[in-house]
Amino acid sequence: MRVPDDLERVLISGEQLQARVAELAAELEAAYSEGDRPLLVCVLKGAFVFLADLVRHIEMPHEVDFMEVASYGSGTASSGVVRILLDLERNIQGRHVVIVEDIVDSGRTLTYIVRNLRTRGPASLRVCALLTKPARRECELDVDFVGFEIPDEFVVGYGLDYAQAYRNLPFIGVLKREAYSPSP
Amino acid sequence: MTADKVLPPEIEKVLLDEKTIEGRVTELAAQIDEDYAGLGSLVLVGVLKGAFVFLADLARRLRVPHQIDFIALSSYNRGSISSGEVRLIMDTRVNLTGRHVLVVEDIVDTGHTLDYLLRSFGARLPASVRSCVLLSKPDLREVDVAIDYVGFEIPDVWVVGYGLDYAERFRTLPYVAALKRDALEDGQRSEPDACA
Repeated sequence: MRVPDDLERVLISGEQLQARVAELAAELEAAYSEGDRPLLVCVLKGAFVFLADLVRHIEMPHEVDFMEVASYGSGTASSGVVRILLDLERNIQGRHVVIVEDIVDSGRTLTYIVRNLRTRGPASLRVCALLTKPARRECELDVDFVGFEIPDEFVVGYGLDYAQAYRNLPFIGVLKREAYSPSP
Repeated sequence: MTADKVLPPEIEKVLLDEKTIEGRVTELAAQIDEDYAGLGSLVLVGVLKGAFVFLADLARRLRVPHQIDFIALSSYNRGSISSGEVRLIMDTRVNLTGRHVLVVEDIVDTGHTLDYLLRSFGARLPASVRSCVLLSKPDLREVDVAIDYVGFEIPDVWVVGYGLDYAERFRTLPYVAALKRDALEDGQRSEPDACA
């Protein structure tokens, strides 16, 4: 696929993504036993592309569920507390849960989601993130399964958007600075 | 890929393998690219849970600029949807007024859910509303509903995989398969979108 003009470069190619996603599926399968039937919880919207590829590689019995959250607006970002727009369909009490995220940067929202889900008494709760930006982390947070550690750059594609665009690129690209900050 | 894998014992046979699905999704994307070229403001609305795999593959093959959104539905009655019983659990995030809306569904059988969605979205004064469905079971249709893009017409067998489940099982198989009759006992397909 053609690289859009607003991208500076491709950070992770489609082939690299596919290979790593297959490895992550194997890592997940190794972490659970057959009867565990882990529930993979996708945080919309960004993670749905990653989830769609990841689960097709997992042969062990498992289920998927979805959550969508939104910020309350100005002044509340630092707490990480978000409004749940779509809650899980499944009751997770006693279940093995894996939160599937596209990217973890500050980790604030994810820390809140972990806290929220823990109150429901899951048997275990782990996090699987395609991308993580360790330089941006503000919360102490264990990401149990990591696809790629990346530098602090504005990335798009494979589910990640900028103003709702670029989500459908089959690779991860770095957005040009002038594409998201007005020129001086 | 499918051939190397051992099928789960509940599976009767593979109806559509990965290559076949991939080829057809690519064709659908090309058709959508052509039809929406230059129109702008296209939004794809995926119906959870079943459509997420199809949507992920379809969107990656589209070149026409678009946004992606999701809705979640439920039924007022437990079990299957007959008519007018659809309950919106999560609405779209974007305002559809003035937008070209393409509803993305995994399967249409009776057509009630899709009919509801097309009417509901049509009421929001969009520029246009169309539907793109991976699988259609025309034999089961109860409502005359317009499907603009169809992946495959299939007979009335219980299908799973590529987003479609049976009691939350088999949803993530990379192919579409028919379930054995004796595997269909006390359960129901868990999602109203899959009963559509």
